[in-house]
Amino acid sequence: MKKIIVEGLKYKYPLADSLALNDVTFDIKQGEFIGIIGKNLAGKSTLCQALVGLVPHFYKGAYGGKVIVDGLEVKNHSIADLSLKVGMVFQNPFTQVTGSKTTVYEEIAFGLENIGIPRTEIIERIDSVLDLLNIEQVKDHNPFDLSGGQMQRMAIASIIAMKPDILVLDEPTSQLDPAGSEEVFQAIQSLSKQGITVILAEHKMEKIAQYCDRVLLLNNGKVVDFDTPGKIFSREDLEGYGLTAPVYTRVCKALGVKKAGTDEYPVTLEEAERVLRGDGA
Amino acid sequence: MKSISLYEEKASFVHDVDPITKLWYIPFAILIPIILPSFTISFLFIGLSLVLLLGAKVIRKTIPVFGFVFLILITVVLIQGMFKPENETVLFQIGPLTMYKEGLLFALTITLRVINIICAFMILVLTTKPSDLVEALVRKGMSPRIGYVIVSVFQIIPEMMATMSTITDAQRARGMETEGKLLVRIKAFIPLLGPVVLGSLINTKERAMALEVRGFNSQAPKTYLYEEKTYQFSKVLQIGMLLLTMAAVSWRIFL
Ligand SMILES: Nc1ncnc2c1ncn2[C@@H]1O[C@H](COP(=O)(O)OP(=O)(O)OP(=O)(O)O)[C@@H](O)[C@H]1O
Ligand SMILES: [Mg+2]
Repeated sequence: MKKIIVEGLKYKYPLADSLALNDVTFDIKQGEFIGIIGKNLAGKSTLCQALVGLVPHFYKGAYGGKVIVDGLEVKNHSIADLSLKVGMVFQNPFTQVTGSKTTVYEEIAFGLENIGIPRTEIIERIDSVLDLLNIEQVKDHNPFDLSGGQMQRMAIASIIAMKPDILVLDEPTSQLDPAGSEEVFQAIQSLSKQGITVILAEHKMEKIAQYCDRVLLLNNGKVVDFDTPGKIFSREDLEGYGLTAPVYTRVCKALGVKKAGTDEYPVTLEEAERVLRGDGA
Repeated sequence: MKSISLYEEKASFVHDVDPITKLWYIPFAILIPIILPSFTISFLFIGLSLVLLLGAKVIRKTIPVFGFVFLILITVVLIQGMFKPENETVLFQIGPLTMYKEGLLFALTITLRVINIICAFMILVLTTKPSDLVEALVRKGMSPRIGYVIVSVFQIIPEMMATMSTITDAQRARGMETEGKLLVRIKAFIPLLGPVVLGSLINTKERAMALEVRGFNSQAPKTYLYEEKTYQFSKVLQIGMLLLTMAAVSWRIFL
């Protein structure tokens, strides 16, 4: 079942000279884990925001084409309506703190109160996301007193608690250390396994390769390619788009070893190990 | 986290009173002395408010406020006492300065009014958590958007001040003088304005987007994490104040 359909999407920010998204077309099936990659200013954040309705409803600007999310055409529905289906976590954790709550626990409750979830369920949901993102120990702290990484976990928890069918994450682990990032990715993967559709913009190519089913490669607002991590990272012209493949892929490329019976290089540690040890061949 | 709210968490019977009742006390304490303009009534209300502030154990926090207010009131007393146009009866003279009875009585009325108003507000401000008051008002039907603005100001202003001191520290580390004479301080302050103002504008935009995706503008009836606090005597106190106000009005009209 197609969960997200984007057709010929064009978008220009007000006062901007050029299109931030230029004729973007793709679709995503229910339960897929999708990565969005591209160099700085490629349009990743803009595309994420187009899926939750911030583009065009929040910014205005020139908009063409169609985005259909879980049967709702974004152009014709309010952000509040869409927020029941799609949740979005932003790049900067600091500006996602509402500023109207004095504890992490209350902060997570904010969205749930707004959409009218009954009290007992609010409490159940908060307890479960605190556990999922491993921030129980700071639940009574002031949100502004958290470290960047903890704030980022809280921001993700706040959105997950709203139980959207589709989760859009814009560089959600920029402030986390490697172990913290890995933990958060595991948590997101567990949601993905429960059938939630995940769309994630990210610069950490190793993570994209490890977790995503398919990867959307953006450049100057255009879709260059949309395929499996193996296919995307095996492209010869990747550097031309300002990207470097995962380190495992680069090593294997340098050694000239491809996955058995394909034209692709390994993209994860496991794949590389298998190929280099020769037991996958 | 520093707070700019004057509220102090304490256990007292005043803290346990419904925020809405404390809010009603303000117009009540201001109106009655206007309806019944006598010094006795004014003193009665100031006395009552002071007793409540004492009972709430927050009287010490009122001292700086009163200090500031007295400074202004002294000028009122002096100016009215000496220069009020209706001044006739000389009370006393200090050198070339003459104090008149009419002006002083008028100044006393103003002074009592002002102290009375300040006391009534302080009972609310010093003994009520801002978010409790706002939540109570939102439950009564105030727009959650207005409520959000009020509550967030108490958190976001200290945040801005923290940003400001981080930037000052960074500039001091680069050798900029930030302390000393007033002119030096002003010079150090100006380059702060750019990053702080611009930064908070960008933050505000991003925060607005984050609020949007968390259903801030949702039409669904809002729910609350905490159960509505039940307060004892709210109705009794509110009806009591209403009855007393009506009694004061009829006293004024019929007697
Ligand atoms: N609020 C805005 N107003 C005007 N133009 C904008 C705005 N936000 C982004 N743009 C422009 O839109 C284009 C795409 O930017 P976008 O933020 O989507 O890139 P990105 O891929 O998310 O980059 P990064 O990797 O730095 O996060 C850029 O040319 C950028 O200058
Ligand atoms: Mg971005």
